[in-house]
Amino acid sequence: MKRDAFSGYHPVVNMLFFVSVIAFGMFFMHPVLQAIALVSAVVYSQMLKGKRALKFNLIYMLPLLLITAVINPAFNHAGVTILFYLKSGNPVTLESILYGVATAVMFVTVIIWFSCYNAVMTSDKFIYLFGRAIPALSLIFSMVLRFVPRYKSQIRRISHAQRSIGRDVTQGSPYRRAKHGLRIVSIMTTWALENAIETADSMRSRGYGLPKRTSFSLYRFDNRDRLALGILAGLLLVILAGAALGENTIRYFPSIRLDPYSSFSAIVYVAYFALCLMPVGIQILEDIKWRSIASRM
Amino acid sequence: MPDQPKQPIRTHKLSSRTWLAALLILIVIPATILFGIFVLDDRKYYFISLLIILYTLVPFALVFEKRKPQARELVVIAVLAAIAVAGRAAFFMFPQFKPVVAIVIIAGVSFGAEAGFLVGATTGFVSNFFFGQGPWTPWQMFCFGIIGFIAGLLYRKGWLRRSRFSLCLFGGLTTLIIYGGIINIGSVMMFTPKLNWETLMAAYGTGFWFDLVHAIATVIFLFALSRPMIEKLDRIKTKYGLVER
Repeated sequence: MKRDAFSGYHPVVNMLFFVSVIAFGMFFMHPVLQAIALVSAVVYSQMLKGKRALKFNLIYMLPLLLITAVINPAFNHAGVTILFYLKSGNPVTLESILYGVATAVMFVTVIIWFSCYNAVMTSDKFIYLFGRAIPALSLIFSMVLRFVPRYKSQIRRISHAQRSIGRDVTQGSPYRRAKHGLRIVSIMTTWALENAIETADSMRSRGYGLPKRTSFSLYRFDNRDRLALGILAGLLLVILAGAALGENTIRYFPSIRLDPYSSFSAIVYVAYFALCLMPVGIQILEDIKWRSIASRM
Repeated sequence: MPDQPKQPIRTHKLSSRTWLAALLILIVIPATILFGIFVLDDRKYYFISLLIILYTLVPFALVFEKRKPQARELVVIAVLAAIAVAGRAAFFMFPQFKPVVAIVIIAGVSFGAEAGFLVGATTGFVSNFFFGQGPWTPWQMFCFGIIGFIAGLLYRKGWLRRSRFSLCLFGGLTTLIIYGGIINIGSVMMFTPKLNWETLMAAYGTGFWFDLVHAIATVIFLFALSRPMIEKLDRIKTKYGLVER
């Protein structure tokens, strides 16, 4: 996998991007905007994860899209354009089918955005962002993230030691195995708690909780991030203005009604497209830059 | 050790913070959900479910951060959450058969309602760093958290005992009714645009067996783990003089 250029930006830029695309993805039911978001999310996930994303999108997302699209007309009978009647006597309407498709697209788009989020917003970025607002809780988060692999290796050690005295989960009758498993977990818990208190005492003796604490971070907010943040903010402004003026809304029930298309809506669409494809654009620019540098060498 | 863990001396009075948290969890959050359904045109379920994360996390976070928790307290919460996360990861191949609720309940009983909530919410959040974050994260955080919270609250009030039977009964019921009940509403809101009785009942119908497996898992894990775990936590509390808040 190639390194994703957008991931190298400051966590604030990453977070703002994902918060906006996910929030907009949830809110905008307008077909043009939905199409823009879905296409961009698929392209970005493809770029981030290559074949794995293709598999994910085809095997999980496509059926999910179809199922979700079908659920709505089966349960929702609002709308004025009746197409036919179900056996139960309930009507199936054009509006409910289209609304079902729209929610399905929304749902799938958000999930794909989240899959990109998982690849870009690693836990260290999250902890960096929220370390100042919720220092104690983000400390807990980072400790948990550290403890899990640590406990796994500790369990392996305990299990090896137990195996040498014939008390591993692989030894004995099923009942004994379960008992051995519990015993290993119990040893691990005792160790974890004792170890935790030790950690806490060492934290205290090193001055945890004293004022004027500094924290280590790898992230620098440079001009590149400033530019990206500025562009992001400008696009958000246009899109939010569009939302305020009703360009992005659509009414499904009882009958479908869209705002008439205008030149302003074109601007909003372009802005939304630019926002959603921002990481992809950054990657392409980076590639061009790299190629031009590489060709000169 | 065959004998029952001792019931330590505890006060039956709830602190004002516990009351504030109870108010937020039991009144403000349901009110927001209803607000989303009836005022926000019945369509912004995703948005509402994200608001829940704020309502559940922010007050707890504020209260928790404001009183400048001691290092020991932080680490113990982190240990319990890590055990729950590791437990969820260890049973990844069995859908729904997870020890998380059991550990959260034990945390609530041993360290109080607030710690129970924090362990639950942290587990829901951090385990999704391993399993993938998504719109389901706030729902899981809320469900795990509230079960730990209720466990702590009822224990404080003396309605929940430390006996195996009492814990297993509580664990099974809360997993089936609270976790299942809320998670199914969550999936209906995520999957379908319209919240009505038909879809909700359909979700409960299809979700019931998953919830039942989850409840049975909770009962089994509580049966096996509650006594040794509570004993260990009590021992740590006594040995290092951790105070119950």
